[in-house]
Amino acid sequence: MPDKTTVQLFRTAVLTFEELGFLLPSEEIDARQAAAALAAVVHLDFTGPFAGTLELRFYGDLLPELAANMLGEEEPPPFQEQLDALGEVTNVICGNLLPAIAGREQVFDLCEPRVAADGPPAGNQALGELQAEAAVGLAGGRAELSLYVRADAVV
Amino acid sequence: MALNVLIVDDSSVMRAMIKKTLRLSGLPVGEICEAENGVAALERLEERWLDLALVDINMPVMNGIDLIEEIRRRPAIADLVIMVVSTESSETRIESLRRMGVDFVHKPFTPEDIKRKIENLTGVCADAGQDNGPAVPDGGPDF
Repeated sequence: MPDKTTVQLFRTAVLTFEELGFLLPSEEIDARQAAAALAAVVHLDFTGPFAGTLELRFYGDLLPELAANMLGEEEPPPFQEQLDALGEVTNVICGNLLPAIAGREQVFDLCEPRVAADGPPAGNQALGELQAEAAVGLAGGRAELSLYVRADAVV
Repeated sequence: MALNVLIVDDSSVMRAMIKKTLRLSGLPVGEICEAENGVAALERLEERWLDLALVDINMPVMNGIDLIEEIRRRPAIADLVIMVVSTESSETRIESLRRMGVDFVHKPFTPEDIKRKIENLTGVCADAGQDNGPAVPDGGPDF
C-alpha cells in the first residue's frame, strides 16, 4: 500500500495536470505511454521544515499541447515557453504538495524551477534521499515525479 | 474607470495566463505591465501609476513578500491594491499576507477566482465596465 506522501504526490500531480494543463491524467500507464521518449526534466529545490528537490520527468510529445492549453491558445508557443510551462506545472505541484504533507502551518520557500530538454538540468548537487515517487499517464506520454529530501539541509 | 494592472511572476507562461484571464474577465482593464521579479516590479511602479498588482511569492532576485513589504514602506505606492497569486498553501504565510492588506488567490486558479477577487478588492465591476467605487479605497481594502 502506498504511503501518505506517495498518495499525496500522485493526487497533487493529477489535480495540477487537470486544472492547469487541461489534460486527463490516468493512474494506469499503457504500453504506448511507457514507451514514450523523455522530453524534459524539471528540478525544483525547496527549503523549509525540510529541504529537498521535486523532480518531474516528462515523456512523450505533449509539451506543445500542455503549453497551448495553459495559455488557452490553439497554436503552441515557442519551445522555451513550453519548457517554462512545464516548470510552472512543477512549481504548482510542489507548492501544493509540501504543506499538504508537512502541515498547513508550515512555511516553505520554493526556488526557481530548472528545466532542461532531454535530461536532468545542469548544476545539480546530490538530490537527497528519495521519499516518494508517482507516475501519471497523459495521452501518449507520462509524467514521473520524485520527491527527494536532503538530510543535511533541514532548516 | 479602467484598471492599470501590474503582473509580477517569474514565469512568462503564468504572466500570459493571468493577462489573458484579465482580458477575458469583462473587467475594465487598461494597461497591463509585466515584471519577472520584485526589483523589476518596483521599476515599473516608479515609471507609471498602476491601480492593482498581482504578485507571485516565489521569485528570484526579490520575492513577493519582500516586494510587498517594500511597497508598503514607500509612501507614494503604499496604498497600492495587491493580490497575491501563488501556490502558497501555508496558513501562517497567508495570514501574514492578509495582515499586510493583501488578498490571495491560490494556483491553480479559475478565471472566476481572479475576477471575483479583483471585484471585491477594487470595487470595479465586470459587467459593462461599471465602477462601484475607487480602485484604491481610503485606508486600504477591508477584508
